[in-house]
Amino acid sequence: VIWLFSLALAADPAADAIPPVEAAVRAELDRAMKELRLPDGDPPYLVLYDVLDGEVVTTFAEFGSTVSVDTDHYRNLRTEVRVGSYERDSSNFSSFGTSGSVVARRLPLEDDIRALRREVWLATDQSYKAAVENLARKQAALRGHTEPLPPDFARVTPVDVPYASTGDVPPVQGAHMRDLAETLSAELRKTPGIEVGQAIARDWQGRRLVLTSEGTRVWRATGYTVVRVEGTVRLADGTEQRDSRSWVVRRPEDLPPESEMLDQVRAMATWLAALPAAPKEEDYLGPVLFEGPAAAEVFSQLVAPEILGTPPELEDGDGALNVPTARLGRRLLPAGWSVVDDATTDKGLGAYASDQEGVAPRRVDLVKDGVVQDVLMSRIPSTDRAASTGHGRSLGNDRLAAMPAVVTVTPPKEVSDRRLRKTALHLAAQTGRDYVLVIRRIEPPVLSGDLDVAFTGEGPLPGLTDPYEAYRLYADGREEPVRALRFLGVDRRLLKDIALAGEGSGPLDTLDGPPGPGRYHVGPTGGVPVTWDVPSILVTEVELTTKSGGEPRVVKVELK
Amino acid sequence: MRPLLVAVVLPAAGAVLLAAGAVLLPAAVGDAWADTAAPPAVLDSLSAVLTDTQAQLASLPDAPYYVALALDDHEQVTIQGTHGAYAGLVRGHDRSGDVDLRIGSMQLDNTHKIRDAGWFDAPRRPQIQAPLAESGAVLRALFMRAVDDVYRDARQQLIKVKSNNQVKVGVTDTSADFSAAPVVVDSRPVPPLELDEAAWIALTREASAIYLDYPAVYDSAVQIVASRDQQWLATSEGTRIEQGNRHFRVATWGTSVADDGGEIQVYDYVDVATPEHLPAHDAVLAMVRGVAQRVTQLRAAPLIDPWSGPAILRGRAAGVFFHEIFGHRVEGHRQKDEDEGQTFTSRVGKPILPSFLSVVDDPTLARRGDFDLNGTYAYDDEGVPAERVQLVDAGVLKNFLLSRSPVAGFPRSNGHGRREAGLAAVARQGNLMVEATRTVTYAKLREMLVAEVKKQGEPFGLIFDDISGGFTFTGRSEPNSFVVSPVTVWRVWPDGRPDELVRGVDLIGTPLTTFARIVAAAYDVDVFNGVCGAESGWVPVSASSPSLLVSEVEVQRHEKGNDRPPILGAP
Repeated sequence: VIWLFSLALAADPAADAIPPVEAAVRAELDRAMKELRLPDGDPPYLVLYDVLDGEVVTTFAEFGSTVSVDTDHYRNLRTEVRVGSYERDSSNFSSFGTSGSVVARRLPLEDDIRALRREVWLATDQSYKAAVENLARKQAALRGHTEPLPPDFARVTPVDVPYASTGDVPPVQGAHMRDLAETLSAELRKTPGIEVGQAIARDWQGRRLVLTSEGTRVWRATGYTVVRVEGTVRLADGTEQRDSRSWVVRRPEDLPPESEMLDQVRAMATWLAALPAAPKEEDYLGPVLFEGPAAAEVFSQLVAPEILGTPPELEDGDGALNVPTARLGRRLLPAGWSVVDDATTDKGLGAYASDQEGVAPRRVDLVKDGVVQDVLMSRIPSTDRAASTGHGRSLGNDRLAAMPAVVTVTPPKEVSDRRLRKTALHLAAQTGRDYVLVIRRIEPPVLSGDLDVAFTGEGPLPGLTDPYEAYRLYADGREEPVRALRFLGVDRRLLKDIALAGEGSGPLDTLDGPPGPGRYHVGPTGGVPVTWDVPSILVTEVELTTKSGGEPRVVKVELK
Repeated sequence: MRPLLVAVVLPAAGAVLLAAGAVLLPAAVGDAWADTAAPPAVLDSLSAVLTDTQAQLASLPDAPYYVALALDDHEQVTIQGTHGAYAGLVRGHDRSGDVDLRIGSMQLDNTHKIRDAGWFDAPRRPQIQAPLAESGAVLRALFMRAVDDVYRDARQQLIKVKSNNQVKVGVTDTSADFSAAPVVVDSRPVPPLELDEAAWIALTREASAIYLDYPAVYDSAVQIVASRDQQWLATSEGTRIEQGNRHFRVATWGTSVADDGGEIQVYDYVDVATPEHLPAHDAVLAMVRGVAQRVTQLRAAPLIDPWSGPAILRGRAAGVFFHEIFGHRVEGHRQKDEDEGQTFTSRVGKPILPSFLSVVDDPTLARRGDFDLNGTYAYDDEGVPAERVQLVDAGVLKNFLLSRSPVAGFPRSNGHGRREAGLAAVARQGNLMVEATRTVTYAKLREMLVAEVKKQGEPFGLIFDDISGGFTFTGRSEPNSFVVSPVTVWRVWPDGRPDELVRGVDLIGTPLTTFARIVAAAYDVDVFNGVCGAESGWVPVSASSPSLLVSEVEVQRHEKGNDRPPILGAP
């Protein structure tokens, strides 16, 4: 019956018709819930599908010349069959030798229901078998385990958002992306001494369908446009220093005017050009002023792990169960500070109407008066929080854990930049310096690949990715760039040493990955959109050291 | 340790095809620029980098004695149909650069193997992502940067090499690290990549629908991959070469799962060098039907147990068999690397095969019979003209495959230095061909098999009809065995019962023992086109052979899956 029904709909172009891809997924969903069962095995209690139908173009240019153009039109299916019950199911468990029950397959691009169903059928079968095996292994691992565990999956009220509500999805703008990458990277040719001058531009637009056996059907338009420009200089001792500029927006039309982007690239080039003559900051221990984008990066790297409530997966043979980093009641910031995540605002690109689990987000007051009061949740409950806050998002086929969306950090009091600088200089003077170190930009983890940072917080490891731009601020207002630096021994406790907050530079849209080592493998054009609205901050004591390494060039490299 | 595992494979079902192209080029080598108005701009830029870097480095005590710069341009279009629907078109285009820089002398340079060292002590090779169209200042700057990176690494490397030679015992083969080669100037532009995309979208869609009529086939696809490769090479010796090829592969695969969990995967394909040689519409449909039928038959086919006895290796299987057990063992660098098994190093001038068999490797040959050959090229990746090499003549070992790394008694390259961009070239196979001077019809060969089965008192013999690939170990630290993975194996009964399709085994063995058991060859010749992976990356190759009767082969159980077939029927 479903088959005939689907065919009829496929032939009907009416605006409220079910698209063939939905009809195909729905038909297999119904079949799985009614018939899919191994002999003596549990049937699925829940089947969840996520179809991402998108088009993407990525262009990469070096010094004005296109190096690569990649285009793709795809329909990716993410299938997750769950066996057991909401209380205890086949998920949230990893065991050596098993691959989990999330299965990805690429669907045909044509609206041929039979072909589409065939792929969904294969994915569902594979996911179900893995789920049955996972549940058995999990039950074995939990045998004799006496600690209470939270339920495995939160119930939700089904939501219905039909296809017709998504509106038009514009085609990707390949030519525009190519022009931008070439134009912006070409600007770096004009500055002698820049060894690497690259730009990458990606436009990704599409629709997402979340369809579950609970009755949720959510169609959403999705996508983003990201442009990044990166330059590298090599200092006299061979040390390389990088800097970058990034723009992340919903669509190419939302990018700033090209002239404004070029101004930013020129400013970066000027900064890089000054570095070979910049002084070394051998070992700095003292107050540091983090300006707008750098402050956003500090909060993103240090606060994010503290506000995400998704518990880690139970691991086979691992005694440490269900201990998330985030702790309710922990003092994270000085008194008077608050942190709120509100994905329902139109403040930035991190906002959305429903997460990747089809759940509408709610405002979450995360930190009040400096203390963690609440955490962000996906549908994976913790011992403290049973319900989703609508923050279930992931990269690729990772499990849908909580990710920040639109985070606003509010200090008890904001002072003017002038006052902030004056106080910073005063604190520096107390440590015997006639200048204070100001950090304007910090390398985003997604561009870093520096795994040292991922595992740190203690000892000689940095704890924060490297500063891109740091300068000495003198009492007479003079700003003197300093060369490549690296943080030492930073962790969340740095936040408690915030002495004062300034004006900030407004909401900053970023692309990010989940906290942890995976965050350092996202790459320049991947990630989940997250908006951070934070003030500039003055921290009483931070330790940094000069980066070294590399070798001076023997062959003189010139663009001529 | 550097990899000692060498393999020739077909891509797994659904995988991105790694095969580069076959090439259709005249064998003649000459100065084609005499008739052209201007040399290609890319080569001008590479030459300018050579001039500039040499000028900057010449006065240094450890100046390079040789620098080669290469730029590889790769375009590819992949179209796929599945379950009767269009599944996508993926287009890619990239250019990657390569720098081979040597300091020291030809006798001892920075590329000399550091014995007992790890992979991290291998010479550095840059990864250059070059602009797709620009061939001026940006390209030059990228290469200058890479030359500097490699030069600084080479200086450190040479110190390690010299120290290693002082500390370690002497070696048997004291031949030089590099050999002289003729300077070549030639330009052979590659025609544009021509593919009627709309027609292939329609054909892959139509052909992929055939599988829907075969319930035993669970997953499947039909695909065409068209690629165009162009390489520019300039060396400090004055060599300037522009060459390349086009390659087209029409492929299809179908998979199933037997009731015992055995994974069944049948892959068939046609490789050609020009669009004119692409299979016609009906031939593609027939290929797909053939795969669908074979999957269906294999799903019901019985497993066989480990066994040894007489067998016929049909052409493609015999080709891969020779590629693995012989071809990799006559690659020049393995003759002087004392970590290698050196199966044939001391056998030059001695019989290693039956006297009715000869083996050549001829990259200058574009076709054999009705087949375009994958391993065809005019110059190798070191700019040396490709040569037909008589490896075995009437059973006697005569020569090795050689790059510019000479071997004792073989002081010069014969044009087999090959690499994937970003890796150092070593001696590799091109078009390996087994030739037989005493042959019988295939029908006669089959009769001889039955006779051999009876003579040995075996219950049956085997015919290895088609294979998916294989691999071999050539190093001393592991058994010098080979594995050839068949797709289609027939059991031949001595009592006249019809041949029976069987599954679940791999052909295994060791080289010297197996060679001694080849007893006859047929008239027929079949060609295996594929890609081969080893130290210098993936390179396109072919292997062709007549069908061979072997008095004794050994089979072991093939790796088995454990998944049940899909629980629900196909929608």
